Amino acid sequence: MAVTKTEIEKLAKLGRLRFSEEELEKFAGEFDDIIAFADTINESVEGGTDEIRSVGSQLVSFEELREDEVILSLPNEKIVSNVEDVNGFFSVKRSKK
Amino acid sequence: MRYELVCGIETHIELATNTKIFCNCTTAFGGDPNTHCCPVCTGQPGSLPILNKKVVEYAVRAGLAVHCKINNISHMDRKNYVYPDLPKAYQISQYDEPLCEHGYIELESGKRIGITRIHIEEDAGKLVHENGYTYVDYNRGGVPLIEIVSEPDISSPEEAKEYAEKLQLIMRYVGISDCKMQEGSMRCDVNVSLREVGTKEFGTRTETKNINSLNFIQKAMYAEVERQTDILEAGGSIIQQTMRYDDVSDMISPMREKENSDDYRYFPDPDIIRFQIAQEKVDEIKSSLPELPFDKLTRYVNELELPETTARQMFKYRRVAEFFEGALAEGASVKNASNLITGTIYSNMNTEEDKELFSVLISAKQFGELVKLLDEKTVNFKMAQSTLQQMLESGKSAGDLIKKEDLAGISDDDLTKWCQEAIDANPKAVADIMAGKDKAINVMFGHIMKQSKGKADTKKAESIIRELLS
Repeated sequence: MAVTKTEIEKLAKLGRLRFSEEELEKFAGEFDDIIAFADTINESVEGGTDEIRSVGSQLVSFEELREDEVILSLPNEKIVSNVEDVNGFFSVKRSKK
Repeated sequence: MRYELVCGIETHIELATNTKIFCNCTTAFGGDPNTHCCPVCTGQPGSLPILNKKVVEYAVRAGLAVHCKINNISHMDRKNYVYPDLPKAYQISQYDEPLCEHGYIELESGKRIGITRIHIEEDAGKLVHENGYTYVDYNRGGVPLIEIVSEPDISSPEEAKEYAEKLQLIMRYVGISDCKMQEGSMRCDVNVSLREVGTKEFGTRTETKNINSLNFIQKAMYAEVERQTDILEAGGSIIQQTMRYDDVSDMISPMREKENSDDYRYFPDPDIIRFQIAQEKVDEIKSSLPELPFDKLTRYVNELELPETTARQMFKYRRVAEFFEGALAEGASVKNASNLITGTIYSNMNTEEDKELFSVLISAKQFGELVKLLDEKTVNFKMAQSTLQQMLESGKSAGDLIKKEDLAGISDDDLTKWCQEAIDANPKAVADIMAGKDKAINVMFGHIMKQSKGKADTKKAESIIRELLS
């Protein structure tokens, strides 16, 4: 099924991205190729992708889950070391829903 | 045209675990910004979320407490949306395989409000909008939540409030959260639509988000019903959107157009393995649940034969109920124990919160001992009250506070003597008593109390007086 320009526009809107008309046309074609590539997974999995729930269809038991024990968090300097920060906060250009 | 209200409520409750849902960072409230964070909860590439066992256990507790079926196998999904409160641009939640399904809450009227599902998910970070910038604190990001989704069974603002109130009470009781709406550990999203009376099809709904008080649920719904009615009456149509309720102006206004569930592009999170909880474990959790609040209320009224008003004053607060039942276990009587709690102890507690916390210096055992002294008429009610007040202030036991002379001071002989004196001094009261005016006996008590310095048992005195007069 071909991905239309309208669908690309919608995805861009959900992803808060803006593209030119030219780019939208180009992406529509590229998306088709990407989906076709992803579909090749179907050939390697018996029963198709419906069989894949999550990693390797494995199950982890309740008993094996992580214990609820606190480990010290990272210091604030580390957390914000690669971002623009103001008084320890991440700072981004205003976004309002 | 006449409309009827159709309402469903989504409730988010923060779970009282020590750590976040997918990492070992603390869930402690507050703290300096971005100090309860690690690579996992700030969504750094290559970090791996690992599910917290306690989160699953608490969610199962919640589900069992509202009669849900527990799915033994469950998995996490990614819910995609782009907003700075989510560092990964998706929230890890559950979509088509939630942990709990098909429960209900029963209202006082007997009507059941269905619970569609309860799923686990991570909370988002906190945003501060200022001077054209958005400042983000991810301390709350990754704090575990359960989302409890009701069926659209609610048909009035009063039912909505009662549903939320009962939910809050039950969740507090099973100990998974403090459910403080004003602090955000319980938040309600209320979906409201109108339809013509007699029609089956649902109207277009709006969602009023993050309501933080039980009263505001009711007020926001009245405001939204009025708004939708006005639009429909004027021939307009309702737009599916998210609303915001402002409690100061009592106004409701649109926040943004609502995204459809398709727009979230849910898919199973490949980083988190599907998990399985054995039925034996579910049964074990079920048997560890305390008696649920409304079962307790029924038992207080039917078995303990407490007046309903008294039972209602006590059952709501789990710690009060435990204290009361602890005293009963010591052999205290239901009547005296409940009267002293709702009288003396509550008079020291001004707010709902005080009763919820119920921090008292004495143990249920100490309290039970005092009640027994009253039951055995070793002390009268007035003295029990004043002793209890001293106990609450000092943490001391009744035995340390009540002096020997207080207890031993009144012999039966003394009491009989004072009764006779009272009779001799009050011929008119005697005549009234003989004529059947029971209240006249109070005149006698004045003398007896004066002689005994307030320690005499009036019931005992009354029976002596009646005997002397017969």
